[in-house]
Amino acid sequence: MKENIGLSRREFIKATGAACAAFLMAGTLPGLVKPTSAAEAEEKIGDVLKRHFGDRKIETGHVDIKAPIIAENGAVVPITVTSDLPMEKDNYVKKIYIYAEGNIQPYVASSNLTPANGKAELALRIKMRKTSNVRAVFETSTGKLYEGIKSVKVTIGGCGG
Amino acid sequence: MAEVGKIRIKLPQGIKKGEVIPVKALITHPMETGLRKDKAGKPIPAYYINDVKVYYGNDLVSSMEWTIAISADPFMTFYVKADKAAPLKIVYKDNKGGTFEDTVQINPQ
Amino acid sequence: MIKRALGGLIALLLIAGAISVITPQNSIAGEIQEYTPNISAEEYEKRYNEFYGDATKKMAEEGNPAEMLLDDGKALFQKVDGSKGKSCASCHGQNGEKLKGAATTYPKYNAGIKGIITLPVQINRCRENQMGAKPWKYDTPDIVAVELFVKSLSNGMPIKISIDGPAKPFYEAGKKMYYTRLGQWNWNCAICHIKYSGHKTRANILSTNRHHADHWPTYRMAWQSTGTIQRRIINDCIKNMRVDKLPEYESEDIRNLEFYLTYQANGLPIQVPGLRF
Repeated sequence: MKENIGLSRREFIKATGAACAAFLMAGTLPGLVKPTSAAEAEEKIGDVLKRHFGDRKIETGHVDIKAPIIAENGAVVPITVTSDLPMEKDNYVKKIYIYAEGNIQPYVASSNLTPANGKAELALRIKMRKTSNVRAVFETSTGKLYEGIKSVKVTIGGCGG
Repeated sequence: MAEVGKIRIKLPQGIKKGEVIPVKALITHPMETGLRKDKAGKPIPAYYINDVKVYYGNDLVSSMEWTIAISADPFMTFYVKADKAAPLKIVYKDNKGGTFEDTVQINPQ
Repeated sequence: MIKRALGGLIALLLIAGAISVITPQNSIAGEIQEYTPNISAEEYEKRYNEFYGDATKKMAEEGNPAEMLLDDGKALFQKVDGSKGKSCASCHGQNGEKLKGAATTYPKYNAGIKGIITLPVQINRCRENQMGAKPWKYDTPDIVAVELFVKSLSNGMPIKISIDGPAKPFYEAGKKMYYTRLGQWNWNCAICHIKYSGHKTRANILSTNRHHADHWPTYRMAWQSTGTIQRRIINDCIKNMRVDKLPEYESEDIRNLEFYLTYQANGLPIQVPGLRF
């Protein structure tokens, strides 16, 4: 029988196997594969905030985050965090914290500012592992904390991504 | 981008004294997370900038802490109040001991 | 026995299915059946802008990592290399003054090689013939840097590719490539970038070939480096079509394809370095 169709059993398995593999691969999205090596280092946003601010009260408002609603490539997401809080000698934003909540380690960056900055704003390009909130916390020299949150959808590109 | 640590700092044109100006800075750096593997399946070690300092004249105006979540070839925009004619220096340090710096002159009119 | 025969029949059907998936369809019989876009140019622009906005344009204005490579390109342009003690600048002016606008006509027909010459091939020919220097490997940082610098001398100037006379058959060959179905997916370039341009593929909008050739070399965030249009075509498009053996850089088919594609961008200003996701 196998002579009739001109393919050995091995070739048959190869051919059908390759076809199956192709269909299986098509269903596997690279973004869904979790990097296992870092699983033990995974941190939740709540724990990070606790580590950075303890039980201090974080108010909402005064903080604005500019980010794309949809990011085509999670490896490069341009974000701008800004605030209308004063930058005066005795009342200024002394530190900005930036978090990407869906990352294995959500803490992205922080910046210590001085009144010489003149404006509490920082733009960075950051990596985001998946669709999640970007959160920024602004700490003032008077000891107050303000936060802003914005959701960013990270897509897995078609051919462009 | 073969070379690591090339820096470009951009200032706006025609700065007025006392104006708050955006400073845009780029540096070439792979920013390896340490979570990726190479083609042979070996983990690629983490290699990233973790410390950035901005000096204006003799003053440290900003100091940043970065993690692996900053994109490769990092770009940033921050602000300074251009109240004096002085050099603006940015110093980047990475986790392997590399230090990269560049200076531009701010000359407010 | 019946069971075996039945098994054989099923196997045969499976194989038939498998083979049609795997076999590349490398030839088109006769005339090319040209596609037309499913949506109007206005509708395309509208969808594209709604989806992408000007994010990459803004990012490129603020800071494009490829600018560093542009500086390298200028330095390499002025650097003496090879047995004849010359640099690119020896012939083309210290800052490449004499090459202003030159890139707008590339790729073009060249009688010497009886085919299409692209900018990187021209650069390597200059190195070999005029400078006595070793040609660079294609799509490596040095040659990309020099290509970028030479192209930047024509920034803002409209692309003007001529497909007349001896260039015509190579344009037709490039167009044939564009319509040749390849790989496991059995796609051609035109199905995505003409027929279905403006439609969604997974989370992207398929771009139109009108804008494919005006911004190379480009820094691609997915690569985290700066590369040529041929890297995009070979290592992204053709690879995504699941072709087992990828074509070589600057091979005849790819040069013809680049020629066809650049002609589609005729009239658009050169804008390098580009920045894309």
